[in-house]
Amino acid sequence: MADIALKTKINQKSWFKSERGFLIFIAVMLAFPFVLNLITGTGLNEGITKFWQGQFIIFFIMAVFAMSYDLLIGYGGILSFGHAASFGGGAYTFALLMKHWAPNFIKNTPIVIGNTDITMIVVLLIVLLAVFLVSILIGLMFAVTSIRLKGTYFAMLTLALSTALYIIIKSTDLHQWTGADEGLHGVPLPVWLNPTQNRLTVYLISLAFLVLSYFLMKRFVSSPTGHIVIANRENEDRMRMIGYNPVTFRTIVFVFASIFAGLAGALYSIWNMSATPTMMSVVTTVNALIMVIIGGMGTLIGPIFGAAISQVIQQFFYTWFGARWPLVFGLLFIFIVMFVPYGIVGTYRMHAFNLRRLRERLYKPFSRKDESPEEEKTSG
Amino acid sequence: MDRRNKRILQTTLIIVVVLGIIVSLYLYAGQRAFVSTIFSGLTLGSLFFLVAAGLTLIFGLMDVLNFAHGSMFMLGAYIGWQFYTNPTFIFGVAPLALAFGTGVMFISVLKPYLIAWNLTPRMQKLLPTIAYILAAVVIVFAVLGFDILGLANTAMVAMTTTTVGNPLAEISPQEPLAEFWIRPVLMMLGGLLIAFGSSKPGDKTQYAPKENLGKAMLLPAILLVVTVVSIFIRESAPVSVLLMNGNIRFLLSILVSVAFGFVFGAVIEIILIRPLYARPTFIILMTLGLSYVIRELVQFLWDPLTYQMARPPLFAMPGKAASIGEWLQNGNSTIDILGATVPTYRLFIIALGIVMFALVTLLMTKTRLGMIIRAGVQDPEMVEAMGINVKSVFTLVFALGVALATLGGIGAAPFLPVQPLMGDAYQTQGLITVVIGGMGSYVGAFVGAMILGMARAFGDYFALKLSLSPAIAEASTVIIMVIVLLTRPQGLFGSKE
Repeated sequence: MADIALKTKINQKSWFKSERGFLIFIAVMLAFPFVLNLITGTGLNEGITKFWQGQFIIFFIMAVFAMSYDLLIGYGGILSFGHAASFGGGAYTFALLMKHWAPNFIKNTPIVIGNTDITMIVVLLIVLLAVFLVSILIGLMFAVTSIRLKGTYFAMLTLALSTALYIIIKSTDLHQWTGADEGLHGVPLPVWLNPTQNRLTVYLISLAFLVLSYFLMKRFVSSPTGHIVIANRENEDRMRMIGYNPVTFRTIVFVFASIFAGLAGALYSIWNMSATPTMMSVVTTVNALIMVIIGGMGTLIGPIFGAAISQVIQQFFYTWFGARWPLVFGLLFIFIVMFVPYGIVGTYRMHAFNLRRLRERLYKPFSRKDESPEEEKTSG
Repeated sequence: MDRRNKRILQTTLIIVVVLGIIVSLYLYAGQRAFVSTIFSGLTLGSLFFLVAAGLTLIFGLMDVLNFAHGSMFMLGAYIGWQFYTNPTFIFGVAPLALAFGTGVMFISVLKPYLIAWNLTPRMQKLLPTIAYILAAVVIVFAVLGFDILGLANTAMVAMTTTTVGNPLAEISPQEPLAEFWIRPVLMMLGGLLIAFGSSKPGDKTQYAPKENLGKAMLLPAILLVVTVVSIFIRESAPVSVLLMNGNIRFLLSILVSVAFGFVFGAVIEIILIRPLYARPTFIILMTLGLSYVIRELVQFLWDPLTYQMARPPLFAMPGKAASIGEWLQNGNSTIDILGATVPTYRLFIIALGIVMFALVTLLMTKTRLGMIIRAGVQDPEMVEAMGINVKSVFTLVFALGVALATLGGIGAAPFLPVQPLMGDAYQTQGLITVVIGGMGSYVGAFVGAMILGMARAFGDYFALKLSLSPAIAEASTVIIMVIVLLTRPQGLFGSKE
């Protein structure tokens, strides 16, 4: 874990160099729909281009959700099974307000500046603000429970709390509001934001959301506050002794992660045009957990990899193994937990030095003679 | 006021409040509804206890939160249901599974010798990896071409045991023994290889005394004998089991389910959990993955359908019995207790829960093993320092916990629909029970389970009466948990850390 702190220090020195990979990723993702359109020639909003945009939208959203979970589990060292509450809370807040409040508001109070009608934008902003506030509240709720409980007790309490929220959202008493088991469907959206009519907009918005979230979270974990959060993970008693209140910093990381999860949930309900109870269930948290584990805890870039891989797996395993593909996936997950505990990115970083040496050796097969034997010993 | 008086006052207060709640519920609901709700609460409480007892023992001793416990509950129900309906599958797969389990169990015999080897650190790392890869290859060869799905589907074939002769005549015959014998042998070899890998050959930091070998050989030896027997009775046993009396068959299916849970738990602990003790968070993740795998495996074998297990004849006869004697004579499905109609099968589950509580209490307070477990809950390292092999106690406790969960599963099978998600709700309630009762306390698990069962039953009653959805009853348990955690974070019977 010490190498992460070291890495953040280097980051501040040569930002472009260290973020090279992510910047290339942004460029590729920006060009992707247009290039695919050029190759297939079906049009941006049709056929296979549209299908892959949809796949990538899910990937972007799940990547943000997984990254926010990585903040909790990887950086904060907090095992919470209630992270889906923020995701589902954001989705339900968005869908509820858009469905039950926005139509009346748009009809009754049109807001016009000059000749343009900006009511929709104002409504969207208000709704997103509400999502923001609800996510903060959910984050605070979990943070408050973490004051008295630690470790496994806390994990179980979060599990129970999120189960309780799931039960409430599913209960038939609230059928007219939440749609109970089926969830909220047909969330009214303006044409320019509608994923079936204008998928490219949603694609670009989700990509921008992913990029923005990544840089914000990166900034957060490399800030002094982030360092204290990491230190809290390593040794809480010592941090308390130095004079930092662990609860404060746990609250900060909870609220921060919860905001991103809530916004990701809202975006997911834009993409689906619905909010379903599954978004709030433990399954969703476990999905994020799997992504984080595959990619590597405490790496931020790892969960993006994890989200991509789990998306690809969902696509291809079905055709390879049939309806029971999760069986293979589960075995793969156990294998990763047992033998590759640091995930893809974490393991790569652990072996990065050896890999670089190997590469150098392959490029310059005879340069080893120049090295002195002492160097050979210390670096190996 | 000194501490003792305060304690007495608190206890009296709690008793008065509990009595007040009971009396007011009695007056509100009336005798009939009250009695039947109490009995459904006790039923749920017994099932919760069977799940929670294993969870709390495992957590208390090993700090392992087993998220696959619900799946094991479900697996127990499936195994029992298979055995009761048509044991062809169980007897067909048993040789392979038992052979593998036997191979793995030989770890306790192999380990003292293997860790004494002199190996370079490189070989110490390399050998287990080679062993695991070889094991995977061998196991793949062992099951290659084995018609497991065909066997699993046998239970779906409708069966009547009343017809004279062979009830399984229509089922296609299995592989002849001359071809079949190689499979269990290969499975056992795979198990031995895994045991070889996970006993860390050459690792001098490990501790395994050679003095206890005689004891350590007991379990593998028994398993070996059972395996050999199971290979020979593979084809003849299902018929003779199906021709038995239904009640005896049900009793046998309970025993099979429990034995399966015991061996399965032991194997899981040795293969998957033991290597991860150094990384506690990853144990939770591993058990999560395991529950996922078990659930998918069950859906793979028996399709994602819902099955209804027939009740054994003792609880099957339609009609109401007036007294317990009449029920035992006729096997009625319901019984009249204080004016309320109570399904007799519920009485069986309640009895099961109470008997298991008594047995666990006896085990924990009267035996040497219980003493070690109680000491281990307090301080495992100290127990190890006293010269007790805590690792093997861990395996035993995990196996016992899983066996309790599978017992709960088969107990619940005639009462609940048998489906892949049946364990999840019980696992959540079991976790809540453990938190309420205090981790590591079996008495707490019992009391917590009964409280939760009552809360669920009365919640359902009120939801029905006030025409609300049953969500209230489900959420009520979480509310109880939050209240307990905020007032007494270590649980009702937990010791303060």
